[in-house]
Amino acid sequence: MKLEGEHVFKGPREAVWEMFYDPEVLASALPGTQKLEMIAENEYEGAMNVRIGPVSGSFTGKLVISDVVEPETCTLTVDGRGTPGFAKGVGKVQFIDQGDGTTLMKYEGDLNIGGALASVGQRMIDSVAKTMIRQAFEVLDKALEARLAAKASGSEVVDFKPPSETEFAAAVAKDMAGGLTKIPEVRLLMYIIPLVAVLVLLAVLFRGCSG
Amino acid sequence: MAGKYVHQSILRLEDPELITGNVQFLDDIKLPGMLHAAFKRSDYAHARIKSIDVSEARKLPGVIGVYTAEDFGDYIKPGPLQVPPPTAIKGATYAARTTMPIAKDKVRYAGEPVAIVIAESRYIAEDACDLIYVDYEPLEAVVDLEKALQPGSPLVHEDLPSNEAGHVRQERGSWEQAVKEADLIIKRKFFINRNAGAAMENRGIVVQWDKHAKQMTIWCGTQSVIALRNQTAARLGLFESQVRVITPNTGGGFGPKINTSLPDDVLITYLAMKLDRPIKWFEDRRENFLATTSERDQVHYCEIAVKRDGTIVGLKDFFYHNTGAYNPYMMTVPLNTQTHTVTNYRVPNFLTEFYVVFTNQMIVTPVRGAGRQYGVFVMERMLDAAAKELGMSPVEIRRKNLLPANAYPYYTSIIGQDFVEGVLDSGDYPSAFEKTLELIEYDKFVKEVQPKLRAEGKKVGIGVACFSEGTGVGPYEGARVTVGGNGKVVVTTGYTSQGQAHYTTFAQIVADQLGVDVKDVKVITGDTGYFGWGAGTFASRGITVAGTATHLAAQKVRQKALKLASKILQAPEEELELADGVVRVADIPSKFIALGDLATLANPMRGTMEPGTEPGLEAVAYYGPPYGATGAGAVGLIVEVDPETMQVSLEKMAFVHDCGTPVNPMVVDGQIHGGIQMGIGDAFYEELIYDENGQLVTASFMDYLFPQATDMPKKLVLGHMETPSPLNPLGIKGVGEAGAIPIPSVFTQAVENALWDTGVEFDRDTLSPSRIFTYVQQAKGA
Repeated sequence: MKLEGEHVFKGPREAVWEMFYDPEVLASALPGTQKLEMIAENEYEGAMNVRIGPVSGSFTGKLVISDVVEPETCTLTVDGRGTPGFAKGVGKVQFIDQGDGTTLMKYEGDLNIGGALASVGQRMIDSVAKTMIRQAFEVLDKALEARLAAKASGSEVVDFKPPSETEFAAAVAKDMAGGLTKIPEVRLLMYIIPLVAVLVLLAVLFRGCSG
Repeated sequence: MAGKYVHQSILRLEDPELITGNVQFLDDIKLPGMLHAAFKRSDYAHARIKSIDVSEARKLPGVIGVYTAEDFGDYIKPGPLQVPPPTAIKGATYAARTTMPIAKDKVRYAGEPVAIVIAESRYIAEDACDLIYVDYEPLEAVVDLEKALQPGSPLVHEDLPSNEAGHVRQERGSWEQAVKEADLIIKRKFFINRNAGAAMENRGIVVQWDKHAKQMTIWCGTQSVIALRNQTAARLGLFESQVRVITPNTGGGFGPKINTSLPDDVLITYLAMKLDRPIKWFEDRRENFLATTSERDQVHYCEIAVKRDGTIVGLKDFFYHNTGAYNPYMMTVPLNTQTHTVTNYRVPNFLTEFYVVFTNQMIVTPVRGAGRQYGVFVMERMLDAAAKELGMSPVEIRRKNLLPANAYPYYTSIIGQDFVEGVLDSGDYPSAFEKTLELIEYDKFVKEVQPKLRAEGKKVGIGVACFSEGTGVGPYEGARVTVGGNGKVVVTTGYTSQGQAHYTTFAQIVADQLGVDVKDVKVITGDTGYFGWGAGTFASRGITVAGTATHLAAQKVRQKALKLASKILQAPEEELELADGVVRVADIPSKFIALGDLATLANPMRGTMEPGTEPGLEAVAYYGPPYGATGAGAVGLIVEVDPETMQVSLEKMAFVHDCGTPVNPMVVDGQIHGGIQMGIGDAFYEELIYDENGQLVTASFMDYLFPQATDMPKKLVLGHMETPSPLNPLGIKGVGEAGAIPIPSVFTQAVENALWDTGVEFDRDTLSPSRIFTYVQQAKGA
């Protein structure tokens, strides 16, 4: 499946790039992240748990970042596996300085999924992925705002409280509610996990780029 | 030939119990100490297995065992061929790579089992599957039929030089000659999609090993108890008599349940013995989509050679057939396509050639229709294309080329799934066609109704198509008919039932022979403990082959009864009759003996027995035809297409069929209705879609659409014809697949006709609203 889109961050390009370098921020955009470790130059290993309602599942994955042109662009390759299947993808991210103090982020990626994710969840993945990406951007927007505010006031403490895993899950569930209530198999919720994988891809990408 | 019961629409004898829920299905079986199985299946379509870690799964409380290929040692090997190779066909080549019961070293389709868990409950077994970690090295998947045969394609079986699983070329007359004679040659390419059997009840198995009696009992909704028993016994080193296979009531078969030596029966029989506990496995719907065999996709390159007046001088069809990751069922499906391509028409020169291709997809074995509908589809589409090109009507071109009513027996020169030359035993195709036109009111629709509706802006269209159905092929089936001391009759056969009304139709045949009430005939099918010979439920052969065996056995019992009664009643046999449960002197009805008493006397307990006499009012008979009986018919369809949504409404369908003598016309109607619904699914709803990585993306009923009762035609008229088959005493032909066969052909033609102003032409058998929309946009050049 193809993933593409863009988002405008209200901040200068360097600040945005820097934000992605902060693992705290990234992890906050992806609740359920158990670990995100650098295992080699431009190579990371991560594990995530996603818990939504009665359903949970875990994913482990590897991320490789390449073609880094700081602070403009990079490519990342992610390979994640878990109980509900696997996800393998390549994504390209670009940060464009819009000249008005904002940064346009463009992303495009190609994701292959397998297992239950593909055979039962394919139909839902697209919309869930979009929801999750939107959620993540909302978190990152707030984080950026907080960081810029801290910078302006010279404070070292960034006053930013990321949403809890539960809050995050609730938001996703709310977005999904219309569709979900019509679905007899609650297990389907599991497929949200792949979305997370997609998101990991993007988010970790940003982080990796900065590194 | 009509009798008191045969040819009568009596109500199904099995229905009262089914309707009131007083029957047992497989999942109702619960045995003391029963364990449950679940499979860990591959997420990848094509990958090497580097390692499998089952240690965490084994630790889960309630787990009895977790097994991978390694744990089974030499027991794990490719299964036996379920169908012989096509050696009877000159020049045919094949490579047999049969089903692996559990993946060893490599997985070849998404859903292939890599481990099996046995646990105290299914819940635990499935949880344990989640704790199994398989380290795969993903490989590029083979998905596209044509690319699969190109050099450099990844190989499904690396010990083979290519993905080619077989090649067959058959010719009657000379295509070369047809090219010379033709005024016009029209070429087309067609895509045939892939469908599931999608029975209401999924597959499953319960196995019990009695270590004291050294006896195994298997309950399974299989379409072939005999194959399952024999293959299991051979694999485990047992006698056939040590394995009893019983089919409980089964919620539909439709083809895929004919298969045996699948992961479940191979592994669970072994484990039930090893663990000395009964084990149950029941498939869930996703497993059914992923890992129960389904049917074909094909790509056809077809050419038709015609004269200006519409006379066909030849047809050439070259196609690729997808057999999936393994080919235990050899070439039944593509051979059916070959034998059903030109059946209904005079085609003096016919060249048909196919390549079978291995891909990283589910194994292909027959699903109702079993390849026949694609031969029919290709031919009917080519006739539509030719008619368009020649400025003829679809009716005119068919009428001109239909095989005449005096053509039978007609030798086709094409060898089919039973490995003998196809022979059309009987039929009257032109009458079936004309009757269809009458019932659908073709002329009236085209001349009056359609112009009027079109003027109102309605997109209405009509189509008409012909089909044949090769049925009732060999090798043989058998039956035992026994009269009890209670005067009632038991029929046992190795044939199996999945809802086809055998408990009624076989009883009708016997009741007529023995003069008993049909309700006093008990039919037992699919239990090797009762009858251990036969082949299986496939190719619409139940009533034709097993029904005829039943008829012959009942005749033998009748002869025995007459002979014995003649002695007892002291009257010549020819003066006796069997009626009302007694044998009596026809002219002196008070002189009789009850059939039950006769049965008791036929089994003397003391004294002597006349040499050459066999005890009991019992007989066994077998029947095997030299070739199958071919049913046929035609279908007309009127549709309305919503120009905004491209949803198609089936306004009226007329379906005329000829299955020889119907034993129970009501049951025949039911088979046609069900077949039509399946055909509608094929034409407009059902499609198994694999993505470019070999992932099945339609593994639930959310994505695999299924026709509902409301999708049936608003008006459905059936027309019956009876040209009895000369092949068997009752004149029967099969009908189980008839309804499903011509629907995609007539559907595409009717929708095309409805959208005539767009100039759209469909080249695939499965449409959908969005697909029709795409075709229309392409036709418009948008």
